Amino acid sequence: MESSNDVALDIIITNVVAVFRTRCHLNLRTIALEGVNVIYKPEYGKVLMKPRITASIWSSGKIICTGATSEEEAKQGARRLARTLQKLGFKVRFADFKVVNVLAVCSMPFAIRLIDFTKNNRPIASYEPELHPAATYRIKTLKATVQVFSTGSLTVTGPNVQTVATAVEHIYPLLFECQKPLCK
Amino acid sequence: MQFQIPLAEPANMASTSRGDVLALPKVRCPNHPDAMLVEDYRAGDMICPECGLVVGDRVIDVGSEWRTFTNEKATKDPSRVGDAQNPLLNGGDLTTMISKGTGAASFDEFGNSKYQNRRTMSSSDRAMLNAFKEITTMADRINLPRNIIDRTNNLFKQVYEQKSLKGRANDAIASACLYIACRQEGVPRTFKEICAVSRISKKEIGRCFKLILKALETSVDLITTGDFMSRFCSNLGLPKQVQMAATYIARKAVELDLVPGRSPISVAAAAIYMASQASAEKKTQKEIGDIAGVADVTIRQSYRLIYPRAADLFPPDFKFDTPVDKLPQL
Repeated sequence: MESSNDVALDIIITNVVAVFRTRCHLNLRTIALEGVNVIYKPEYGKVLMKPRITASIWSSGKIICTGATSEEEAKQGARRLARTLQKLGFKVRFADFKVVNVLAVCSMPFAIRLIDFTKNNRPIASYEPELHPAATYRIKTLKATVQVFSTGSLTVTGPNVQTVATAVEHIYPLLFECQKPLCK
Repeated sequence: MQFQIPLAEPANMASTSRGDVLALPKVRCPNHPDAMLVEDYRAGDMICPECGLVVGDRVIDVGSEWRTFTNEKATKDPSRVGDAQNPLLNGGDLTTMISKGTGAASFDEFGNSKYQNRRTMSSSDRAMLNAFKEITTMADRINLPRNIIDRTNNLFKQVYEQKSLKGRANDAIASACLYIACRQEGVPRTFKEICAVSRISKKEIGRCFKLILKALETSVDLITTGDFMSRFCSNLGLPKQVQMAATYIARKAVELDLVPGRSPISVAAAAIYMASQASAEKKTQKEIGDIAGVADVTIRQSYRLIYPRAADLFPPDFKFDTPVDKLPQL
């Protein structure tokens, strides 16, 4: 069967979320007033960086970076951000950088019968058409979640890029059984 | 305290009539020592089934003290034991409450009632009792039968004891339990219908629903279009013919997969629209959308998908008031 590893499947990583800590308390008002591209909300502040990294900054020094397209870029963007904060005068140390979530999309060359797919994978897959048009398949061992749409597109979220790739491989054979032209 | 002991015995003797192997009858028939005595609790006798000898006598009667007729609005209920216990759901609560006094002697000099402590009767289950009341109120609004309410109560009890959803509002959990119970009984209600009788938003009910399924490690069957047909059609006042036609259309549409990715409710609504437009009883999209809880643009979208194959979708023995090619095209 042609269900071997990603023969023609492009897994496109759309978002990488990472957290890191500066080991110092940050004054959000200063950042809001003196920084570029800052939106300040009373609970927490937000910063935008040119190559598309959005960071949510807490005054405790915890920062969440979203919007990167790869792990490397996430790290670079976070460093750039830390540099900017340093320039504003805070004693910033780049500590505990960790990628928390990776979101990828993938498209199958075939459409999928969601009802059959859900029936075959009963406790692991869940499909609530009223709530969301996709079937959600959670892989516990990998801690990854795959959302399967009836058009054949998938969105995969997982803790790192490797897990995402493994998840796609894992789920491919299951989807292959329930494709549209075959089990009509 | 004194009353506990005689109450225990009838329960013990009652269990023998159920064939409980462990509880041996305290008395035996002299002629048939092996026979299990049948208890006639109304008369207070233990009777041997073989020879009919009345062996036990003066057994405490566990039946009710007075016969109550529901049509009599007697202000005084002469029963001295209160309502039947609900052992499945409560913790077996046997506390006695002292109600507010009625005579003049129950008030002290300042006008306050003398005995005030009416609270703290079952503090551990108070939230649960509250939730049961809420469940009954909600179910009453959409006329759900007793078995669904009981199932909901059971689910709520299981979730409550597990404490994994403790932070969530009890009403949200109750609404989600109601939704699950309807599903499990084979008569699903849409989230929007549950929303209509509850103060919780659809989003929150959906979240609690997923959490409960995870907590109780159960799953539910998928909804189909046919589950809702009878309710929607009768709310719209459509005749049985149209309802059957709509059911057929919806089922066929899903089989032929003309509507991938559409919620079954939307497909059902579009099918009802098509069937009603082809019959004498034409309903507008707005009316159907109102009943089903779908937007009329959604019906329009789904209708556009099934319209091209309209001729195949109708049941073979359907009487057309408006022929297939004259169906409205939106």
